[in-house]
Amino acid sequence: MKGALKHLSPALACCGLLLTWQLASLGLKNDSFPTALDSLRAIPPILTDKEALINILASLRRMAIGFALALAFSIPLGLLMGRSRATAAFFNPLLMLVYPVPKAALMPIIMLWLGVGDVSKTLVIFLGVSLPVIYHSFEGAKAVEEKMLWSGAAMGLSAGERLLRIVLPAALPEILTGCRTGLVLALITMVTSEMIARQSGAGNILFNALDMGQYDTVFAMIIIIGAMGICLDAVFETIRRWLVRWSEPQFDMPLSFS
Amino acid sequence: MGVTPIRPGELAGVPLGRRPAEPIIEIDHVSQVFKTSSRRDHTALSNISLSVEEGAFVSILGPSGCGKSTLLYIVGGFVSPTSGTAKMKGKPITGPGTDRGPVFQEFALFPWKSVLGNVMYGPLQQGMNSAKAEARALELIAMVGLTGFEKFYPKELSGGMKQRVALARTLAYGPEVLLMDEPFGALDAHTRTRLQNDLLEIWERDRKTVLFVTHSVEEAVFLSDKVVMMSRSPGRIREVIDIDLPRPRRREELLLDPRYQNYIVEIERMFDDSGDNELPS
Ligand SMILES: Nc1ncnc2c1ncn2[C@@H]1O[C@H](COP(=O)(O)OP(=O)(O)OP(=O)(O)O)[C@@H](O)[C@H]1O
Ligand SMILES: [Mg+2]
Repeated sequence: MKGALKHLSPALACCGLLLTWQLASLGLKNDSFPTALDSLRAIPPILTDKEALINILASLRRMAIGFALALAFSIPLGLLMGRSRATAAFFNPLLMLVYPVPKAALMPIIMLWLGVGDVSKTLVIFLGVSLPVIYHSFEGAKAVEEKMLWSGAAMGLSAGERLLRIVLPAALPEILTGCRTGLVLALITMVTSEMIARQSGAGNILFNALDMGQYDTVFAMIIIIGAMGICLDAVFETIRRWLVRWSEPQFDMPLSFS
Repeated sequence: MGVTPIRPGELAGVPLGRRPAEPIIEIDHVSQVFKTSSRRDHTALSNISLSVEEGAFVSILGPSGCGKSTLLYIVGGFVSPTSGTAKMKGKPITGPGTDRGPVFQEFALFPWKSVLGNVMYGPLQQGMNSAKAEARALELIAMVGLTGFEKFYPKELSGGMKQRVALARTLAYGPEVLLMDEPFGALDAHTRTRLQNDLLEIWERDRKTVLFVTHSVEEAVFLSDKVVMMSRSPGRIREVIDIDLPRPRRREELLLDPRYQNYIVEIERMFDDSGDNELPS
């Protein structure tokens, strides 16, 4: 009974939201605010259109590449910074400068240098994802209990092995928290980059529709992108929980739709 | 804080061939001064010299905060002393090594590994194949009384159970010297007695050198060849007492032995006489 309720509640929340939307838009009667039903009806045509699908897949591909590259770069860097004072002292000022800059604001310069193609967009996603992952990896590595490393050293692990086989797993819960934030940021920077550099992608469909006043398509795309975000987050959260099952307290309140 | 210079030649003449009574660990005028976060100097160890013979069971007894853990960390090579030297088999200790196995007061288990994974870790690291490592681990897990808990993660264990896993994990890779920091501190009296007996049995069989930190006078006398009494402020050695009791020791016999009781009373009295009366617990 309780389990059924747990699975039902997200669905109920969705229905409630859609219903409110429907009523609000019927009441307001504004052209730029189509009803929920009209917007939902606009989804199947998009998802069956080959052109649109190619665009969405291109977006996802850039996002996956940017995200993966960011993890491959940021996790080792963050861990090193957390365990080596010199590395931290070297990179900290740099990161503090980059941290508050909205990565999308760099897009025009990047476009100027690297063109409006995949490289620029992937780079912006990479930058957007990197910082939270570096930060959380750094914090996670810094918090590793010293005696755990000593135990490893006494068993004959070299400094490199300790980083890989003790710091990495010990910091994993914290790293994955950063990755989860990074995943959402990847989606956001993906759409933003496509807004700035129109050419292809899910963001491109959305903003083209906006220019042409096809508001039901605009809202349909918002739903599609939102659903992609929710699904990605749910999949990631499932993987994350499996990976850190050794550390989670038993009674956690799930903050996702998985 | 005066730093005692190491007189050259003082420890010279360590012969190459090792006889049973050879010191395996030599601690020579070791002092440890920590900088506290309020930027003051805090002396944790002051001019400690101690030599431990190969195969000896040596307990370190002293009030909380007198530097017992710090001394073990120096022998383990995890901390280098502010002054003085520590040597293992005549070679200065410059870092951790598989020849010295620590059992930390804080357990320091790997939380992402199961009980079995923790205990297998050392043997695997030393290149033992996984079937053999597992067999060895299971044997030790049984010895510490945790059969049936092999698949548990550390977060699912009680404090005493974690302590026993930590002990098994260190025994598993067979270090020559065991550095045990209150390894039985979190155990109930019954388990404690059982593990003391098991430890003695292992020790009598393998004759490993053991440095054993404890708060319990009784435990120290029961287990040791030598009891090192430390005192606080700043941490120094008060007395080293040889425990001349026959081996193998059996608790039932010792409890009736007046010599055993004398040692306990004598040591407790010494602690009462000093200002350090945080002990015995
Ligand atoms: N990293 C450190 N920085 C500053 N002071 C320290 C540090 N480690 C230990 N000390 C100080 O050194 C002294 C000895 O500490 P230590 O942990 O060796 O004591 P102990 O004898 O093991 O105590 P207990 O029986 O409570 O475990 C303490 O007064 C402690 O405050
Ligand atoms: Mg201690």
